Amino acid sequence: MNLNDAPQRIRWITVAFLVGTAILLSILDATGNLDAAFSILRDPLTAVLNVTSGGADTVAGVLAGPRDLEAARSEIALLQSQVDELERENEELREIQGEYQLLLDLFNRARQTPEYTRQTASVIGRDTSPAIRSIIIDKGSEDGVRVGMPVESARGLVGRVYRTTGHSAQVALITDNASAVPARLGNSRATGLLRGGELGGSLLMDWIDLKYQVEVGEVALTSGLGGEFPQGIVIGRVVEVNRSEAELSQRALVQTATDFDSLEMVFVITDFQPLDVDIFANPPGN
Amino acid sequence: MRTGIYVAIPVMLGLAVLQTAVLPRFSILGLVPQLSFLVALSWALLRGLEEGLAWGFIAGISLDLFSIAPLGTTAVAYMAAIFAVVSLIRVLPENRFFIPVVMAALGSTVCLLVYLVFMRLLGFSSSVETAVTLAPLILLNAGFMLPVYWLIYSIDRVIHPRRVEL
Repeated sequence: MNLNDAPQRIRWITVAFLVGTAILLSILDATGNLDAAFSILRDPLTAVLNVTSGGADTVAGVLAGPRDLEAARSEIALLQSQVDELERENEELREIQGEYQLLLDLFNRARQTPEYTRQTASVIGRDTSPAIRSIIIDKGSEDGVRVGMPVESARGLVGRVYRTTGHSAQVALITDNASAVPARLGNSRATGLLRGGELGGSLLMDWIDLKYQVEVGEVALTSGLGGEFPQGIVIGRVVEVNRSEAELSQRALVQTATDFDSLEMVFVITDFQPLDVDIFANPPGN
Repeated sequence: MRTGIYVAIPVMLGLAVLQTAVLPRFSILGLVPQLSFLVALSWALLRGLEEGLAWGFIAGISLDLFSIAPLGTTAVAYMAAIFAVVSLIRVLPENRFFIPVVMAALGSTVCLLVYLVFMRLLGFSSSVETAVTLAPLILLNAGFMLPVYWLIYSIDRVIHPRRVEL
């Protein structure tokens, strides 16, 4: 095999056509002109995702539990087939218990803030781009999910709905580069802006006034400023504070409460109305 | 080239589903190898630049269906990377192990840079820090390239058997 034998002649018109089409699609999509076409394409693909995701759950569960397998093997040696059967039943019960715990956490979260109506959704996929952090959920516009709606898990804030199709939606996570969430710290009451894109999925809280004495361990919550998220949703906990008197503000590194790698179910808050701040961009009379 | 394109569409859609719903559950340091890119690059190394670009285009469009990035962004990045890398192949020594791995690393670097720049042009947030956090992905792609390349090589030998003159 000689790699240099691969045909190198190309038709430049083909290259120009492919590049031109890709750029044109990017521009059309970025300006929101492909949404209708997307829905037609994405809906059947979402159904495929749903099935594939379910299968992957099973495989991931088996691979994630080598200790259980090890324990089961030793017991099989002692108690043979009877224990094997009991072990299988036990695994099923654990799975049910895990699901019950997850639903209980979600229920408790909903009970804490009954003023909001929520739509429960399963996570069926993640963004294919390594530079973007988003998830795909199995509820869409036909389930009442709209662009801009806040999304939370049982542990805390997850992100905002970015795009919807009939039966699915893409949620931009708070750990994404473009994310900026106005936040308040629990004890010091300091406010700042939480930005994503940090290593390890942490968030950086910026623009904290130097007058506040921020401490490690403080809980970060949504402040409600900006009107994009409801007030008081837990985001995470401060793990590091960078205070420099030479600068005008201080920064804090916040570890998110939600483990985004193992996120299975989320809540979409369907009755929260984000404030329309566009009127401030164009003051009356201009 | 036509047959290649008809094969590429289901293959790349399947890989996109795999990359969205399955691979994230087995991530390494929070990253997953870009299988679609590696397959398109392997095809380009074996079948030439034109077919490689077509496979890169289809791979990119398929992936963008499951991303919040504008449709076509990944296609542009993949095609740029495949073009850059396959254009370089003549200056590299002939080695069936060395070349695919180096090409994967080089291609991943070009791909990430073009992707981030293009995203920036479209108004999305991307920075040098983002590029740095994605650096391990280059090694991950290079690590996965050999098995992917040999799989594609075997498939190519079945589809396009070599002629032997006696």
